Amino acid sequence: MSGGAARLDDVAVGALQDVLGAEHAALWSYALAVAFIAPDQVAAARTDAAAHRELRAQIEITLTQLGQRPVSAQPAYTTPQPVTDAASAAGLLVTAETDAAAAWRSVLERSTDRALRRAGLKALTETAARCARWRAVVGTRPAVPVFPGRP
Amino acid sequence: MNDATAARRGAGLPAAAPIVGRRRFLQIALVLPAAATVLGGCGGQDRRADRPDPLIALADAARADAALAAAAIAAAPALATRIDPLREARIEHAAAFDAEVVRMGGVPGTAVSPAATAAAPPPTGTAAPPVTLARVREAVAASQVGAAELVENLPAERVGLVASVAACCATYAALLT
Repeated sequence: MSGGAARLDDVAVGALQDVLGAEHAALWSYALAVAFIAPDQVAAARTDAAAHRELRAQIEITLTQLGQRPVSAQPAYTTPQPVTDAASAAGLLVTAETDAAAAWRSVLERSTDRALRRAGLKALTETAARCARWRAVVGTRPAVPVFPGRP
Repeated sequence: MNDATAARRGAGLPAAAPIVGRRRFLQIALVLPAAATVLGGCGGQDRRADRPDPLIALADAARADAALAAAAIAAAPALATRIDPLREARIEHAAAFDAEVVRMGGVPGTAVSPAATAAAPPPTGTAAPPVTLARVREAVAASQVGAAELVENLPAERVGLVASVAACCATYAALLT
């Protein structure tokens, strides 16, 4: 395993640490938002949170195999606006998915490893779908981001 | 299981996935013997010396999707709320690809301006069947594949744009059902 892991350079490792940070933030955001989200959105939020949890675990395993210490989650994160109701909770999830998309796109841009790029594209695509759903809940138009992950 | 998990299971790393299971796609991704081919194979300049810029085809596909979406809306105006955002997105995609082609010193493909595309009448003859939602979805799904196929080998400064467009097209393909 270490032989394969050694193929990733510091730039790509940095991108993985950054996207891990984004996944930590997304999970924190979902944990907060679920308490406020509209009842008919709770199941979707839990499903999305599970997807982020799986991604986080995969990144942590990968980084560990690379001999890197995966970055830890922050105790708390600053929300763009106070989360006080269903709308602001959905807005937080839009932010979380938008940030995750940017981090995944950055993984693609900071790695030339073909398999990592495949994995990154898959994650970016899934994040875009989640983002579109929460943007629709919030009422953002267009619901589907035109360039998901573009800074 | 959610859609995202199912998609990961279905689409990830066909060579390795049956052996290791779905939770391991990312770590397996890193240990596949890929680096050598990438380091030698992603040089955009060398490729462009004897082949057309692959982004020209992506721009043309975006224009074609926009025209198809316009035709579908013309055939069934009630679809506008669902399809018009796609049409607008594909116009933006075409413009972004064109700009990247020009940046690299190339000449963009068929120069249909965004305004002309938006106003274009349905490119169907009187006898042709109307463009359906399903046809639009198939087209954008094909565009997703065309963009995604390039992602592994594009240089760093281009891969983000192409990946974003692939992700956008994938999302529309999933929504327009």
